Amino acid sequence: MYRNKKTGIIGIIVTVIILITIVVVSNIEIENFSQIGGALSSLVMPVQNGITYLKNKITGNNTFFSDISTLKEENESLKDENSKLEQSLRELEIIKAENETLKEYVNLKDKYTEYTTVPGYVINRDTSNYSNIIVINIGSDDGISEGMAVIADEGLVGHVISVTGTTAKVQTLLDTSSAVSSLVGTTRDAVIVKGNLDDNDMLRATYIPTDATILEGDKIETSGLGGIYPKGITIGTVKSIVDTKNLTNRYAVIEPAVDINKVETVLVITN
Amino acid sequence: MKKAISIFCLILTFFIIYFLQSNFFTWFTIAGIMPNLYVILVLFIGLFVKRKLGLVLGLIFGLYLDIVLGRVVGISALGLGIIGLLGEILSKNFSKDSRFIVTLMVIVSTAIYEILVYVLSMLRLSADIEIIPFLKILIIEILFNTLITIIIYPLIKKAGYYLENLFDDKFMLTRYF
Repeated sequence: MYRNKKTGIIGIIVTVIILITIVVVSNIEIENFSQIGGALSSLVMPVQNGITYLKNKITGNNTFFSDISTLKEENESLKDENSKLEQSLRELEIIKAENETLKEYVNLKDKYTEYTTVPGYVINRDTSNYSNIIVINIGSDDGISEGMAVIADEGLVGHVISVTGTTAKVQTLLDTSSAVSSLVGTTRDAVIVKGNLDDNDMLRATYIPTDATILEGDKIETSGLGGIYPKGITIGTVKSIVDTKNLTNRYAVIEPAVDINKVETVLVITN
Repeated sequence: MKKAISIFCLILTFFIIYFLQSNFFTWFTIAGIMPNLYVILVLFIGLFVKRKLGLVLGLIFGLYLDIVLGRVVGISALGLGIIGLLGEILSKNFSKDSRFIVTLMVIVSTAIYEILVYVLSMLRLSADIEIIPFLKILIIEILFNTLITIIIYPLIKKAGYYLENLFDDKFMLTRYF
Protein backbone atom coordinates (compact mmCIF):
# COMPACT_ATOMS: atom_id res chain seq x y z
CA MET A 1 0.00 0.00 0.00
CA TYR A 2 2.75 2.38 1.04
CA ARG A 3 4.74 1.48 -2.01
CA ASN A 4 1.76 2.09 -4.33
CA LYS A 5 1.12 5.46 -2.79
CA LYS A 6 4.75 6.42 -3.16
CA THR A 7 4.93 5.42 -6.82
CA GLY A 8 1.64 7.25 -7.38
CA ILE A 9 3.09 10.48 -6.01
CA ILE A 10 6.25 10.05 -8.05
CA GLY A 11 4.06 9.50 -11.13
CA ILE A 12 2.20 12.73 -10.48
CA ILE A 13 5.41 14.70 -9.96
CA VAL A 14 6.89 13.26 -13.16
CA THR A 15 3.74 14.17 -15.09
CA VAL A 16 3.78 17.72 -13.70
CA ILE A 17 7.39 18.09 -14.82
CA ILE A 18 6.56 16.67 -18.27
CA LEU A 19 3.59 19.05 -18.63
CA ILE A 20 5.62 22.10 -17.68
CA THR A 21 8.46 21.05 -19.98
CA ILE A 22 6.09 20.62 -22.92
CA VAL A 23 4.46 23.99 -22.27
CA VAL A 24 7.79 25.77 -22.01
CA VAL A 25 9.43 24.03 -24.98
CA SER A 26 6.41 24.47 -27.25
CA ASN A 27 6.32 28.18 -26.54
CA ILE A 28 10.02 28.91 -27.13
CA GLU A 29 10.59 31.13 -30.14
CA ILE A 30 12.72 29.49 -32.83
CA GLU A 31 15.19 32.39 -32.87
CA ASN A 32 15.92 31.82 -29.19
CA PHE A 33 17.27 28.31 -29.66
CA SER A 34 20.67 29.62 -30.66
CA GLN A 35 21.17 31.61 -27.51
CA ILE A 36 21.37 30.24 -24.01
CA GLY A 37 20.28 33.61 -22.67
CA GLY A 38 17.20 33.47 -24.83
CA ALA A 39 16.34 30.02 -23.57
CA LEU A 40 16.77 31.14 -19.98
CA SER A 41 14.61 34.19 -20.47
CA SER A 42 11.92 32.10 -22.11
CA LEU A 43 11.84 29.97 -18.97
CA VAL A 44 11.20 33.05 -16.85
CA MET A 45 9.09 35.05 -19.28
CA PRO A 46 5.88 32.95 -19.25
CA VAL A 47 5.69 33.28 -15.47
CA GLN A 48 6.44 36.98 -15.60
CA ASN A 49 3.96 37.53 -18.41
CA GLY A 50 1.37 35.59 -16.48
CA ILE A 51 1.88 37.61 -13.32
CA THR A 52 1.75 40.88 -15.24
CA TYR A 53 -1.31 39.69 -17.11
CA LEU A 54 -3.05 38.68 -13.88
CA LYS A 55 -2.10 41.97 -12.26
CA ASN A 56 -3.47 43.96 -15.17
CA LYS A 57 -6.60 41.84 -15.16
CA ILE A 58 -7.19 42.32 -11.45
CA THR A 59 -6.56 46.07 -11.46
CA GLY A 60 -8.69 46.37 -14.59
CA ASN A 61 -11.57 44.57 -12.95
CA ASN A 62 -11.27 46.54 -9.73
CA THR A 63 -11.52 49.81 -11.52
CA PHE A 64 -14.37 48.45 -13.57
CA PHE A 65 -16.35 47.78 -10.44
CA SER A 66 -15.51 50.62 -8.10
CA ASP A 67 -12.94 53.39 -8.12
CA ILE A 68 -14.38 56.44 -9.81
CA SER A 69 -11.13 58.36 -9.50
CA THR A 70 -9.19 55.60 -11.22
CA LEU A 71 -11.90 55.44 -13.83
CA LYS A 72 -11.39 59.13 -14.49
CA GLU A 73 -7.65 58.63 -14.87
CA GLU A 74 -8.27 55.78 -17.25
CA ASN A 75 -10.72 57.89 -19.12
CA GLU A 76 -8.06 60.56 -19.54
CA SER A 77 -5.47 58.09 -20.76
CA LEU A 78 -8.05 56.70 -23.15
CA LYS A 79 -8.75 60.20 -24.38
CA ASP A 80 -5.02 60.58 -24.99
CA GLU A 81 -5.09 57.36 -26.95
CA ASN A 82 -8.07 58.67 -28.82
CA SER A 83 -6.22 61.81 -29.79
CA LYS A 84 -3.27 59.70 -30.93
CA LEU A 85 -5.66 57.68 -33.02
CA GLU A 86 -7.12 60.81 -34.53
CA GLN A 87 -3.59 61.92 -35.32
CA SER A 88 -2.88 58.67 -37.11
CA LEU A 89 -6.15 59.07 -38.94
CA ARG A 90 -5.05 62.50 -40.07
CA GLU A 91 -1.83 61.00 -41.37
CA LEU A 92 -3.94 58.52 -43.27
CA GLU A 93 -5.89 61.42 -44.66
CA ILE A 94 -2.67 62.99 -45.94
CA ILE A 95 -1.74 59.72 -47.63
CA LYS A 96 -5.18 59.64 -49.14
CA ALA A 97 -4.80 63.14 -50.46
CA GLU A 98 -1.51 62.19 -52.09
CA ASN A 99 -3.21 59.40 -53.91
CA GLU A 100 -5.35 61.77 -55.92
CA THR A 101 -5.47 59.95 -59.22
CA LEU A 102 -6.83 56.91 -57.52
CA LYS A 103 -9.50 58.96 -55.86
CA GLU A 104 -10.59 60.27 -59.22
CA TYR A 105 -10.93 56.75 -60.48
CA VAL A 106 -12.87 55.45 -57.55
CA ASN A 107 -14.77 58.71 -57.07
CA LEU A 108 -15.13 58.28 -53.35
CA LYS A 109 -15.81 61.07 -50.98
CA ASP A 110 -13.88 61.35 -47.74
CA LYS A 111 -16.68 59.80 -45.81
CA TYR A 112 -14.67 58.31 -43.00
CA THR A 113 -12.07 60.89 -42.15
CA GLU A 114 -13.65 61.56 -38.78
CA TYR A 115 -14.96 58.77 -36.62
CA THR A 116 -16.96 59.01 -33.43
CA THR A 117 -15.59 56.40 -31.06
CA VAL A 118 -16.39 54.99 -27.63
CA PRO A 119 -13.48 53.56 -25.62
CA GLY A 120 -13.81 50.23 -23.84
CA TYR A 121 -11.84 47.62 -21.91
CA VAL A 122 -11.44 43.98 -22.79
CA ILE A 123 -12.94 42.13 -19.82
CA ASN A 124 -13.07 38.55 -21.07
CA ARG A 125 -11.67 36.25 -23.72
CA ASP A 126 -12.96 33.17 -25.44
CA THR A 127 -11.93 29.89 -23.80
CA SER A 128 -12.27 27.81 -26.96
CA ASN A 129 -9.42 26.89 -29.30
CA TYR A 130 -11.55 27.33 -32.42
CA SER A 131 -12.92 30.82 -32.10
CA ASN A 132 -11.55 34.18 -31.11
CA ILE A 133 -14.07 36.38 -29.37
CA ILE A 134 -13.46 39.12 -26.81
CA VAL A 135 -15.95 40.71 -24.45
CA ILE A 136 -15.71 44.45 -23.78
CA ASN A 137 -17.17 46.48 -20.93
CA ILE A 138 -19.39 48.79 -22.99
CA GLY A 139 -22.80 47.91 -24.36
CA SER A 140 -26.06 49.29 -25.68
CA ASP A 141 -26.16 51.79 -22.77
CA ASP A 142 -23.08 53.45 -24.28
CA GLY A 143 -24.59 53.51 -27.75
CA ILE A 144 -23.02 50.29 -29.02
CA SER A 145 -24.99 48.15 -31.42
CA GLU A 146 -24.39 45.05 -33.53
CA GLY A 147 -22.15 45.34 -36.57
CA MET A 148 -20.06 48.29 -35.36
CA ALA A 149 -16.34 48.18 -36.19
CA VAL A 150 -13.88 47.86 -33.30
CA ILE A 151 -10.37 49.29 -33.54
CA ALA A 152 -7.33 49.75 -31.31
CA ASP A 153 -4.72 52.49 -31.63
CA GLU A 154 -2.71 50.54 -34.22
CA GLY A 155 -5.51 49.23 -36.41
CA LEU A 156 -8.58 47.07 -36.83
CA VAL A 157 -9.62 44.54 -34.17
CA GLY A 158 -12.99 43.21 -35.34
CA HIS A 159 -16.69 43.94 -35.13
CA VAL A 160 -19.47 43.73 -32.57
CA ILE A 161 -21.61 40.60 -32.92
CA SER A 162 -23.93 40.99 -29.95
CA VAL A 163 -24.60 43.48 -27.18
CA THR A 164 -26.14 43.52 -23.74
CA GLY A 165 -26.73 46.65 -21.65
CA THR A 166 -23.19 46.85 -20.32
CA THR A 167 -21.12 44.42 -22.41
CA ALA A 168 -20.54 43.62 -26.06
CA LYS A 169 -19.08 40.56 -27.78
CA VAL A 170 -16.52 41.32 -30.45
CA GLN A 171 -15.59 38.83 -33.15
CA THR A 172 -11.92 39.52 -33.83
CA LEU A 173 -10.19 39.27 -37.20
CA LEU A 174 -8.43 36.10 -36.01
CA ASP A 175 -11.72 34.22 -35.71
CA THR A 176 -12.09 31.51 -38.35
CA SER A 177 -15.47 32.81 -39.47
CA SER A 178 -14.25 36.39 -39.86
CA ALA A 179 -13.75 37.71 -43.40
CA VAL A 180 -12.89 41.32 -44.24
CA SER A 181 -12.89 42.86 -47.68
CA SER A 182 -9.53 44.61 -47.97
CA LEU A 183 -7.13 46.40 -50.28
CA VAL A 184 -3.38 46.09 -50.74
CA GLY A 185 -2.00 49.51 -49.80
CA THR A 186 0.32 50.03 -52.76
CA THR A 187 -1.42 48.40 -55.72
CA ARG A 188 -5.06 48.70 -54.58
CA ASP A 189 -5.73 45.05 -55.37
CA ALA A 190 -8.80 43.67 -53.63
CA VAL A 191 -8.31 40.71 -51.26
CA ILE A 192 -10.32 38.98 -48.55
CA VAL A 193 -8.63 38.76 -45.14
CA LYS A 194 -9.64 35.75 -43.05
CA GLY A 195 -8.76 34.18 -39.74
CA ASN A 196 -7.48 30.59 -39.71
CA LEU A 197 -6.92 27.70 -37.34
CA ASP A 198 -3.40 26.97 -38.52
CA ASP A 199 -1.74 29.93 -36.87
CA ASN A 200 -3.78 31.79 -34.30
CA ASP A 201 -1.63 34.93 -34.44
CA MET A 202 -1.71 35.49 -38.20
CA LEU A 203 -4.32 36.36 -40.80
CA ARG A 204 -4.60 35.13 -44.37
CA ALA A 205 -5.33 37.21 -47.44
CA THR A 206 -7.16 35.02 -49.93
CA TYR A 207 -8.79 35.50 -53.34
CA ILE A 208 -5.74 37.40 -54.55
CA PRO A 209 -6.31 38.35 -58.23
CA THR A 210 -4.05 36.30 -60.51
CA ASP A 211 -2.55 39.42 -62.08
CA ALA A 212 -1.96 41.16 -58.76
CA THR A 213 1.55 41.86 -57.57
CA ILE A 214 1.66 41.53 -53.81
CA LEU A 215 4.93 41.92 -51.96
CA GLU A 216 6.23 41.27 -48.47
CA GLY A 217 5.83 44.36 -46.32
CA ASP A 218 2.78 45.66 -48.19
CA LYS A 219 0.22 47.31 -45.96
CA ILE A 220 -3.30 45.87 -45.97
CA GLU A 221 -6.30 48.07 -45.16
CA THR A 222 -10.06 47.76 -45.21
CA SER A 223 -11.81 48.48 -48.49
CA GLY A 224 -15.07 49.74 -47.02
CA LEU A 225 -17.10 47.22 -48.99
CA GLY A 226 -19.61 45.11 -47.11
CA GLY A 227 -20.95 47.80 -44.83
CA ILE A 228 -19.33 46.79 -41.53
CA TYR A 229 -15.83 48.23 -41.63
CA PRO A 230 -15.18 51.83 -42.71
CA LYS A 231 -12.69 52.35 -45.54
CA GLY A 232 -8.98 52.76 -44.95
CA ILE A 233 -8.42 51.21 -41.51
CA THR A 234 -5.06 49.43 -41.21
CA ILE A 235 -5.30 45.66 -40.82
CA GLY A 236 -1.66 44.63 -40.96
CA THR A 237 1.36 43.98 -43.14
CA VAL A 238 2.11 41.13 -45.51
CA LYS A 239 4.61 38.78 -43.85
CA SER A 240 4.96 36.16 -46.57
CA ILE A 241 3.27 34.94 -49.71
CA VAL A 242 2.47 31.26 -50.04
CA ASP A 243 2.36 30.04 -53.63
CA THR A 244 0.30 26.96 -54.36
CA LYS A 245 0.15 24.82 -57.50
CA ASN A 246 -2.87 26.74 -58.64
CA LEU A 247 -2.30 30.48 -58.88
CA THR A 248 -5.86 31.29 -57.80
CA ASN A 249 -5.33 29.45 -54.51
CA ARG A 250 -2.28 31.36 -53.39
CA TYR A 251 -2.55 33.34 -50.18
CA ALA A 252 -0.57 35.84 -48.18
CA VAL A 253 0.16 35.56 -44.47
CA ILE A 254 -0.62 38.85 -42.78
CA GLU A 255 0.68 40.01 -39.44
CA PRO A 256 -2.11 42.03 -37.80
CA ALA A 257 -1.19 45.57 -36.77
CA VAL A 258 -2.86 45.00 -33.40
CA ASP A 259 -1.71 42.16 -31.15
CA ILE A 260 -5.28 40.91 -30.85
CA ASN A 261 -4.51 38.18 -28.32
CA LYS A 262 -3.13 40.78 -25.93
CA VAL A 263 -5.16 43.91 -26.69
CA GLU A 264 -6.63 45.53 -23.59
CA THR A 265 -8.24 48.79 -24.65
CA VAL A 266 -10.33 49.16 -27.79
CA LEU A 267 -12.43 51.84 -29.49
CA VAL A 268 -15.81 51.19 -31.04
CA ILE A 269 -16.68 53.31 -34.06
CA THR A 270 -20.27 54.39 -33.54
CA ASN A 271 -21.04 56.41 -36.68
CA MET B 1 -28.57 19.27 2.74
CA LYS B 2 -25.16 17.69 2.10
CA LYS B 3 -26.27 16.97 -1.47
CA ALA B 4 -27.24 20.60 -2.01
CA ILE B 5 -23.85 21.73 -0.69
CA SER B 6 -22.08 19.24 -2.98
CA ILE B 7 -23.98 20.53 -6.02
CA PHE B 8 -23.13 24.07 -4.99
CA CYS B 9 -19.44 23.04 -4.72
CA LEU B 10 -19.60 21.53 -8.22
CA ILE B 11 -21.01 24.79 -9.60
CA LEU B 12 -18.28 26.69 -7.73
CA THR B 13 -15.70 24.36 -9.29
CA PHE B 14 -17.13 25.23 -12.69
CA PHE B 15 -16.55 28.93 -12.06
CA ILE B 16 -13.02 28.28 -10.79
CA ILE B 17 -12.35 26.36 -14.01
CA TYR B 18 -13.96 29.16 -16.01
CA PHE B 19 -11.56 31.72 -14.53
CA LEU B 20 -8.59 29.36 -14.96
CA GLN B 21 -9.49 28.88 -18.63
CA SER B 22 -9.93 32.57 -19.36
CA ASN B 23 -6.84 33.72 -17.44
CA PHE B 24 -4.21 31.13 -16.49
CA PHE B 25 -4.58 28.87 -19.52
CA THR B 26 -4.47 31.73 -22.00
CA TRP B 27 -0.69 31.80 -21.44
CA PHE B 28 0.00 28.34 -19.95
CA THR B 29 -0.50 26.68 -23.31
CA ILE B 30 1.08 23.93 -25.40
CA ALA B 31 1.94 25.62 -28.72
CA GLY B 32 -0.88 28.10 -28.17
CA ILE B 33 -3.52 25.46 -27.46
CA MET B 34 -5.59 25.54 -24.28
CA PRO B 35 -6.89 22.43 -22.50
CA ASN B 36 -10.60 21.92 -21.95
CA LEU B 37 -11.28 21.42 -18.27
CA TYR B 38 -15.05 21.71 -18.65
CA VAL B 39 -15.10 18.31 -20.32
CA ILE B 40 -13.17 16.76 -17.43
CA LEU B 41 -15.52 18.32 -14.86
CA VAL B 42 -18.73 17.27 -16.60
CA LEU B 43 -17.40 13.76 -17.26
CA PHE B 44 -16.46 13.55 -13.59
CA ILE B 45 -19.98 14.55 -12.53
CA GLY B 46 -21.50 12.02 -14.94
CA LEU B 47 -19.17 9.25 -13.76
CA PHE B 48 -19.57 9.65 -10.03
CA VAL B 49 -22.72 11.60 -9.20
CA LYS B 50 -25.02 10.07 -11.85
CA ARG B 51 -28.81 10.59 -11.51
CA LYS B 52 -28.67 12.55 -14.80
CA LEU B 53 -26.94 15.35 -12.91
CA GLY B 54 -24.07 15.22 -15.44
CA LEU B 55 -26.54 15.89 -18.23
CA VAL B 56 -28.32 18.70 -16.36
CA LEU B 57 -25.19 20.46 -15.10
CA GLY B 58 -23.49 19.93 -18.48
CA LEU B 59 -26.40 21.66 -20.20
CA ILE B 60 -26.39 24.53 -17.68
CA PHE B 61 -22.60 25.04 -17.84
CA GLY B 62 -22.64 24.84 -21.64
CA LEU B 63 -25.49 27.31 -21.88
CA TYR B 64 -23.61 29.71 -19.62
CA LEU B 65 -20.49 29.47 -21.81
CA ASP B 66 -22.56 29.93 -24.96
CA ILE B 67 -24.29 33.02 -23.62
CA VAL B 68 -21.21 34.66 -22.14
CA LEU B 69 -18.60 33.82 -24.77
CA GLY B 70 -20.11 31.97 -27.69
CA ARG B 71 -21.68 33.00 -30.95
CA VAL B 72 -24.24 30.26 -31.31
CA VAL B 73 -26.35 29.43 -28.27
CA GLY B 74 -26.73 25.71 -27.63
CA ILE B 75 -23.63 24.12 -29.12
CA SER B 76 -21.49 23.89 -25.98
CA ALA B 77 -24.64 23.08 -24.02
CA LEU B 78 -25.38 20.15 -26.30
CA GLY B 79 -21.73 19.00 -26.24
CA LEU B 80 -21.34 19.12 -22.47
CA GLY B 81 -24.79 17.56 -21.95
CA ILE B 82 -23.78 14.61 -24.12
CA ILE B 83 -20.51 14.24 -22.18
CA GLY B 84 -22.47 14.20 -18.89
CA LEU B 85 -24.72 11.47 -20.22
CA LEU B 86 -21.74 9.57 -21.63
CA GLY B 87 -20.08 9.67 -18.20
CA GLU B 88 -23.10 8.02 -16.66
CA ILE B 89 -23.19 5.30 -19.32
CA LEU B 90 -19.44 4.68 -18.97
CA SER B 91 -19.67 4.40 -15.19
CA LYS B 92 -22.12 1.51 -15.55
CA ASN B 93 -19.79 -0.43 -17.83
CA PHE B 94 -16.26 0.36 -16.69
CA SER B 95 -14.30 0.46 -13.47
CA LYS B 96 -13.26 3.86 -12.24
CA ASP B 97 -10.50 2.52 -10.00
CA SER B 98 -7.87 2.58 -12.70
CA ARG B 99 -6.09 5.76 -13.60
CA PHE B 100 -5.59 4.40 -17.09
CA ILE B 101 -9.32 3.80 -17.72
CA VAL B 102 -10.28 7.26 -16.44
CA THR B 103 -7.61 8.85 -18.61
CA LEU B 104 -8.93 6.89 -21.59
CA MET B 105 -12.44 8.13 -20.84
CA VAL B 106 -11.18 11.72 -20.78
CA ILE B 107 -9.45 11.20 -24.15
CA VAL B 108 -12.62 9.82 -25.75
CA SER B 109 -14.87 12.52 -24.24
CA THR B 110 -12.55 15.35 -25.26
CA ALA B 111 -12.44 14.03 -28.83
CA ILE B 112 -16.24 13.62 -29.02
CA TYR B 113 -16.90 17.05 -27.51
CA GLU B 114 -14.42 18.93 -29.67
CA ILE B 115 -15.43 17.25 -32.94
CA LEU B 116 -19.11 17.84 -32.21
CA VAL B 117 -18.62 21.48 -31.25
CA TYR B 118 -16.30 22.20 -34.16
CA VAL B 119 -18.48 20.58 -36.82
CA LEU B 120 -21.68 22.15 -35.53
CA SER B 121 -20.24 25.64 -35.17
CA MET B 122 -18.54 25.52 -38.58
CA LEU B 123 -21.80 24.41 -40.21
CA ARG B 124 -23.70 27.12 -38.41
CA LEU B 125 -21.20 29.87 -39.22
CA SER B 126 -20.40 28.62 -42.73
CA ALA B 127 -16.67 29.12 -42.23
CA ASP B 128 -13.96 27.17 -44.07
CA ILE B 129 -13.44 23.71 -42.57
CA GLU B 130 -9.71 23.16 -42.04
CA ILE B 131 -9.28 19.49 -41.19
CA ILE B 132 -5.49 19.24 -40.71
CA PRO B 133 -5.14 22.28 -38.41
CA PHE B 134 -8.21 21.10 -36.52
CA LEU B 135 -6.70 17.65 -35.96
CA LYS B 136 -3.47 19.27 -34.78
CA ILE B 137 -5.36 21.35 -32.22
CA LEU B 138 -7.44 18.33 -31.20
CA ILE B 139 -4.39 16.12 -30.58
CA ILE B 140 -2.59 18.76 -28.53
CA GLU B 141 -5.75 19.46 -26.56
CA ILE B 142 -6.24 15.74 -25.84
CA LEU B 143 -2.60 15.47 -24.73
CA PHE B 144 -3.03 18.47 -22.43
CA ASN B 145 -6.25 17.07 -20.95
CA THR B 146 -4.58 13.67 -20.46
CA LEU B 147 -1.66 15.15 -18.55
CA ILE B 148 -4.01 17.19 -16.35
CA THR B 149 -6.15 14.13 -15.66
CA ILE B 150 -3.07 12.12 -14.61
CA ILE B 151 -2.06 14.92 -12.26
CA ILE B 152 -5.45 15.44 -10.63
CA TYR B 153 -6.49 11.77 -10.60
CA PRO B 154 -6.08 11.31 -6.81
CA LEU B 155 -8.36 14.31 -6.30
CA ILE B 156 -10.88 12.94 -8.81
CA LYS B 157 -10.88 9.55 -7.06
CA LYS B 158 -11.25 10.93 -3.55
CA ALA B 159 -13.91 13.51 -4.35
CA GLY B 160 -15.62 11.13 -6.76
CA TYR B 161 -16.14 8.30 -4.28
CA TYR B 162 -17.27 10.76 -1.63
CA LEU B 163 -19.92 12.07 -4.02
CA GLU B 164 -20.85 8.60 -5.18
CA ASN B 165 -21.51 7.42 -1.63
CA LEU B 166 -23.40 10.60 -0.85
CA PHE B 167 -25.72 10.37 -3.85
CA ASP B 168 -26.24 6.62 -4.03
CA ASP B 169 -26.46 4.42 -0.91
CA LYS B 170 -26.81 1.28 -3.01
CA PHE B 171 -23.28 1.60 -4.34
CA MET B 172 -21.82 1.93 -0.89
CA LEU B 173 -23.35 -1.41 0.11
CA THR B 174 -22.02 -3.26 -2.92
CA ARG B 175 -18.56 -1.91 -2.36
CA TYR B 176 -18.12 -2.69 1.29
CA PHE B 177 -20.11 -5.91 1.69
